Amino acid sequence: MITLESYLLISVFMFAIGVWIMIARKNVVAILLGIEMILNAAALNFVAYSKFVTNNLDGHIFALFIIVVAAAEAAVGLAIVIRFFQIKETIHIDEATQLRN
Amino acid sequence: MFLNTLFFLSTFLIFLSSISLVTTKNIMHSCIFLLGSLIGVAGLYVTLGADFVAATQIMVYVGGIVILMLFAVMLTGGKDFVSRAQALMGLIPAMGNKFSTFVGILTAAVLVISTSKLFINLRSAIPQNKMAATESTVNKIGKLLVTNHVLAFELSSVLLLGALIGAAIIARPKKIF
Amino acid sequence: MNSTVVSYLTGFEPVKQFIAFLTKSLGFDVTALLTFVIFFLVAFVIVNIMAAIGGLGTYAERKISADMQLRIGPNRVGPYGLLQFLADGVKMIMKEDITPRDADKFLFFISPIFCMVGVFSTLAVLPFSSGFTLTQLDVGTFYLIAISSLVGLGVFLGGYASNSKWSMLGGMRGASQIISYEIPVTISVLGICLLAGSLGFNKIIAQQAGLPHTWFIFHNPFAFIAFFVFFTGALAETNRAPFDLPEAESELVSGYHTEYTGMKFGFFALAEYVEVFVVCGVASALFLGGYNVPFNLGGDGLVGQLLQIGAFVSKTLALYYVVIWIRWTLPRLRVDQLMTVCWKYLTPMAIFNLVGMAFWVYWFNGKSIFDLIFAAGSHAAGGH
Repeated sequence: MITLESYLLISVFMFAIGVWIMIARKNVVAILLGIEMILNAAALNFVAYSKFVTNNLDGHIFALFIIVVAAAEAAVGLAIVIRFFQIKETIHIDEATQLRN
Repeated sequence: MFLNTLFFLSTFLIFLSSISLVTTKNIMHSCIFLLGSLIGVAGLYVTLGADFVAATQIMVYVGGIVILMLFAVMLTGGKDFVSRAQALMGLIPAMGNKFSTFVGILTAAVLVISTSKLFINLRSAIPQNKMAATESTVNKIGKLLVTNHVLAFELSSVLLLGALIGAAIIARPKKIF
Repeated sequence: MNSTVVSYLTGFEPVKQFIAFLTKSLGFDVTALLTFVIFFLVAFVIVNIMAAIGGLGTYAERKISADMQLRIGPNRVGPYGLLQFLADGVKMIMKEDITPRDADKFLFFISPIFCMVGVFSTLAVLPFSSGFTLTQLDVGTFYLIAISSLVGLGVFLGGYASNSKWSMLGGMRGASQIISYEIPVTISVLGICLLAGSLGFNKIIAQQAGLPHTWFIFHNPFAFIAFFVFFTGALAETNRAPFDLPEAESELVSGYHTEYTGMKFGFFALAEYVEVFVVCGVASALFLGGYNVPFNLGGDGLVGQLLQIGAFVSKTLALYYVVIWIRWTLPRLRVDQLMTVCWKYLTPMAIFNLVGMAFWVYWFNGKSIFDLIFAAGSHAAGGH
């Protein structure tokens, strides 16, 4: 039977995948993909707890706000990526050293 | 019956697309696999009875974020620069030498042990309610958004406005100074 | 749980007896199996009818355009050329399936599938009648708008994966156009949801009735404007003329499906025609009373259901005719004009309509303008 643990395991899996992408990729867009995975894992946890534990809809509201924040983050992040590409002509994360020192 | 089938299909979709997402070299394909796993999460929301959240998930991610990312990939060349000089088995570039690999595996082991203990205790620690019958959540979410959570609702609209203006200003081409 | 075609059918007494008989004779509970079988059959029938409607759409387009330009149109295959679409389909299947050498194979393969899935998933909530809807979700309109944005993704990816400059330009135009025009369309739909107090198609249609003065398009002046905003935006979202910039054949060879041949091209074309049907169906459900039959003829029985399907389909096909009519009448817009129309005119109008409808619901308690006129008339005539 489907229990809370199954959802939590899927969420852990998605979180790990997101962290893996953020570590392994050097492309800024790929890192943003990893962040989306992590945010989704968190939202899935909220909805699962809301269904199995608290039995009210606060978890759903929280998931909605996570989606809103993810949308805002993606818009601003991709704008930064495009601007970065205009300046440096690459989107390799190691080139982003302008703020060093 | 229906929910079980949907659960297994969604889980399968999530696993398959997530694995493909990290193993593929092409960033354009990665975006499509991300879309697959996000649709899988929407399916899981449906199995949890969160129909409105599922529809929002599809709306925002499919219609907005993934297309935005595809545009960004296209405008920035579409190549993925995975540095392979210091990679472990050609997969994980950040784990360069033996020492960092050892530390990484140790951390993973500690994390797995602690989370598995958490999982073992989960059922006894949290009283699980019985799964209520699936009913529509739209009315209740609407009421909650304008009563209990009205501050967060208004703040998120301000956040979205700020993100809109900020993204437009940042991405606007201008002289580099 | 949401009411579906299965819950409608199992409400009948003979079906209940049949289920009981099967359960007794087979020795296990057949309800789940029967649910699956009914869903499968109804979905199969609907998808096939929709594919036929998409095919007949190409025939209707050619015939109507021929009529408008004083030509004859296709008249060789079958009576009046009615089977022309079957001949076209056979031709498409027989054609060689070419993938360009430098194309992105995976994306090239998957983008027509995105278009097909995005369009055919919307059929799950399209209200054909009060009983024969596949499912009546409470988030029906929202789901429909959300899942149909897969089409924009398919268009964009098809353009990108072809590795051709015409396809690339067409795909970029298509994606930007579809994303932009989603905003006025969604806000117009939101206004109607505000009037009905629900996001579900069945509840929105239940608030209207058979005769035109109860339809939401004549409910108040804002809804009247919203209908035209919706229809214009929907034309642009389905890439129909005068907004068919993604496939502008005078500038880009054929836009995003230049490099597609055979059945993959057929998928794109079929998705486009079925999407026009879906959009016209949504317009008729939200604004033109949907499946309501005048004077509730036929009742709730099977005859009533068939009459409801007839009402819905005839309204939808009338709008379909208007779409084809517009295509062969108006010239194509330029890209800057397209964006001007969306962002400077349609979006402010849609937001104005939404605010106006909110105030209308607040001040007049959601009564339609005809209700108010009748009430004022009866008051002036001395009634209470």
